[in-house]
Amino acid sequence: MNRDDILKDINARFPLDIVDIFDKSPKRVYIEIKPVSLTRVAKYIFKDLGARFNTASGVDTRHYMEILYHFTIEDIGLLISLKVKLDKSKKLEIDSLAPIFEGANWIEREMHELLGINFKGHPDLRRLLLSDEWPEGVYPLRKDYKEWDKKAIRDRGV
Amino acid sequence: MSLKLKALLKSPWVFHLSTGSCNNCDIEVLDCLTPRFDIERFGMLLAGSIKHADVLLITGSCNRQSVVRLKRLYEQIPKPCLVVAIGECSLSRGMFIHSYNCPVPLDKIIPVDVYIPGCPPKPEAIIAGVVKLINKIKEGKAKKK
Repeated sequence: MNRDDILKDINARFPLDIVDIFDKSPKRVYIEIKPVSLTRVAKYIFKDLGARFNTASGVDTRHYMEILYHFTIEDIGLLISLKVKLDKSKKLEIDSLAPIFEGANWIEREMHELLGINFKGHPDLRRLLLSDEWPEGVYPLRKDYKEWDKKAIRDRGV
Repeated sequence: MSLKLKALLKSPWVFHLSTGSCNNCDIEVLDCLTPRFDIERFGMLLAGSIKHADVLLITGSCNRQSVVRLKRLYEQIPKPCLVVAIGECSLSRGMFIHSYNCPVPLDKIIPVDVYIPGCPPKPEAIIAGVVKLINKIKEGKAKKK
């Protein structure tokens, strides 16, 4: 399948799940989908289209917590980014992709500890990078993060 | 100068520790050991284990996870020892000074003898710093540990 067929196919299969398709460049396309239909679309892209899961990135914007799942279809050199927007006023929850492909396991753990997004159905949602002394419920990459450590020194001493 | 310090200066064995650096300082340290700069002419050798080392070379910004390891290594190094901080990150944390993960600079955790600034410092600067340290001890001005 070439690039146009793939986009047409995704459009035809998931008409109700897709919110927006942003065709950025010949090598890159952003597909915004509803959070509830993430597993379905990701499974299709990964299993049926044979894409490789690169990584995921979490972004804290003003009203939404966005997650972008980056997939590459290497045969045709296309990078598909699945974008999901979680409403910040509600509970930050989304289905985990780790049961479908193992590669999502650690990046979801990282997003869980740094941004506080809860991944439902994740096999092992422990901490990955932060140290043991880090308090619960403090998420360093959120926009409203405030310093909690009273012992921290933030000047250069000159 | 005590006999222990005199023996240490003849051939200081260095142990290289990265506490979360970007690897640039580590490459410069490696450069010092290659034949072009060749710090072996000062008797310095890279020790594989901290228990064989006399000098601790530290690069990187001391993040929360590596501070625990740093303290553990400092306890294991045979005293008297010398500590050399290499690069802007280990001096003052550089651009990571406001990072959530780098709360305390290196010299508030363990005593530091020589500061070598630069991002990364040139191999010449590292050699100059270490030679200054050796001279400082010979004159008896260095901190006794």
